[in-house]
Amino acid sequence: MGFASYIFYNVGRSLLRRGYALLMLLSLIALQVQAETPLRIAVSSNFAPVIKQLLPEFTQQTGKKAQVISGVTGGLYQQLKHGAPYDIFLSADSLRPQKLAQAHLIIPHSLKTYAYGQLAIFSMKNPNITWRDLLTGYKKNHLTKRLAIANPKTAPYGKAAKQCLVKQGLWQQLQKKLIIGNNISQTFQQVRSQAVPMGIVAYSQLAINKLRGDLLPINCYQPIKQQLVILKKTLQPKLAQQFSDFLLSTKIQQKIALYGYLSGTKTDD
Amino acid sequence: MINADLTALFITLKMAAISTLILLLLGTPLAWWLAKMKSKIKVFFEAVIALPIILPPTVLGFYLLIAFAPQSHLGQLWLQLTGSQLAFSFSAIVIGSVLYSLPFVVQPLQRAFEQLGDHYLEAATMLGAKPLDRFFSIVLPMTKASFITAASLGFAHTVGEFGIVLMIGGNIPDQTRVLSIAIFDHVEAFEYAQAQTLSLSLLIASFVLLTLIYLLNHKKVSR
Repeated sequence: MGFASYIFYNVGRSLLRRGYALLMLLSLIALQVQAETPLRIAVSSNFAPVIKQLLPEFTQQTGKKAQVISGVTGGLYQQLKHGAPYDIFLSADSLRPQKLAQAHLIIPHSLKTYAYGQLAIFSMKNPNITWRDLLTGYKKNHLTKRLAIANPKTAPYGKAAKQCLVKQGLWQQLQKKLIIGNNISQTFQQVRSQAVPMGIVAYSQLAINKLRGDLLPINCYQPIKQQLVILKKTLQPKLAQQFSDFLLSTKIQQKIALYGYLSGTKTDD
Repeated sequence: MINADLTALFITLKMAAISTLILLLLGTPLAWWLAKMKSKIKVFFEAVIALPIILPPTVLGFYLLIAFAPQSHLGQLWLQLTGSQLAFSFSAIVIGSVLYSLPFVVQPLQRAFEQLGDHYLEAATMLGAKPLDRFFSIVLPMTKASFITAASLGFAHTVGEFGIVLMIGGNIPDQTRVLSIAIFDHVEAFEYAQAQTLSLSLLIASFVLLTLIYLLNHKKVSR
């Protein structure tokens, strides 16, 4: 105690005296500009694992490094609106990229559809559960388990899940049974950890983790059109464009399909 | 990946160290001022300082995001002064941390200053000690345990921060990706092993730090 307080007293004393000089120095260090900034890819959490697996190939092709910043679509959009220094934004929907386009924050004509998401019903305890089982179970009231979905307000996969439940007339009935995840990753983790017995997740999450689940009929929700945009603020528009082209190339699109998405280019408008 | 995690650790420690330093420089006069304040307006300031304890980090983070954005007044001013953008920079997460951890530094110091009593200081004044001398020769030695508590709590609370840093820092590797966000990222990417390692080290480090604080406090009380 004596020694510690002696040290603290002296350090505190000199810190208070030299504190401001030290602060200036430290903030200079903090503000130092990095020489070569890598391409910063902001990506919605559902697609982040795919991007991470595809990146080595991109780096090999271009010799350029890239960083992945993953988050919930709505959150990334807010950050971009407030000046986040990302070069390219891979959204899980088409709404946010279009809003960014309307706000003139993107490079014109950089808006592209790179994949279509699919929904699946998933349960660890009961891997054979089907969407039909779930519907009849809830409708006849012999299914009382909780159901995890992503937040319909911020997560496109949650919005689509809600559309299916509304269409089946189950939305009101299930209100007290729903566990709402912040994003689709959280929903997937809740079900995978068996904290929630079943949930509506992205089919890609199951494909990547080699898990089983039942696809929801594609016509019960509006297509989850996952679009990308290149931000106007980017300091490396060429590299960002290269990445966009890379993602939309036939070879990579085929890979994306293996990860449980529908190819974005096939049905593009 | 290991490298990226070490970078996150380094950024976390750097953020926490700088924030703690600023917190002590800022919190000490503030706590002193509050401790000596006689007016009833005092409760108003106390409430403002305590706000981060109650407010969810998302609320504070949301306001700070708007305040720091390049289109805001503060953002403009910062851009002109430093030549770089405030939002999503290392400086932004330091400022956020300072605000977020302020009550954890101010409150223990204020309690200590209040309990100090005036007679020592009056005696020192009679003997001709100047204010700064009184602070370093009397106040600081007598309240050192509270200073250690305040600094450690401020540091620990900053290390454990997540919501604000994610919102105003933007999770940028090498700049604003701190440990808590790195863990979040690993979980999101199904990298559970790395998430486990990081979480466990953070858990142990936090436990050791808090035990040390309580040990110091215990000695102070039992003496």
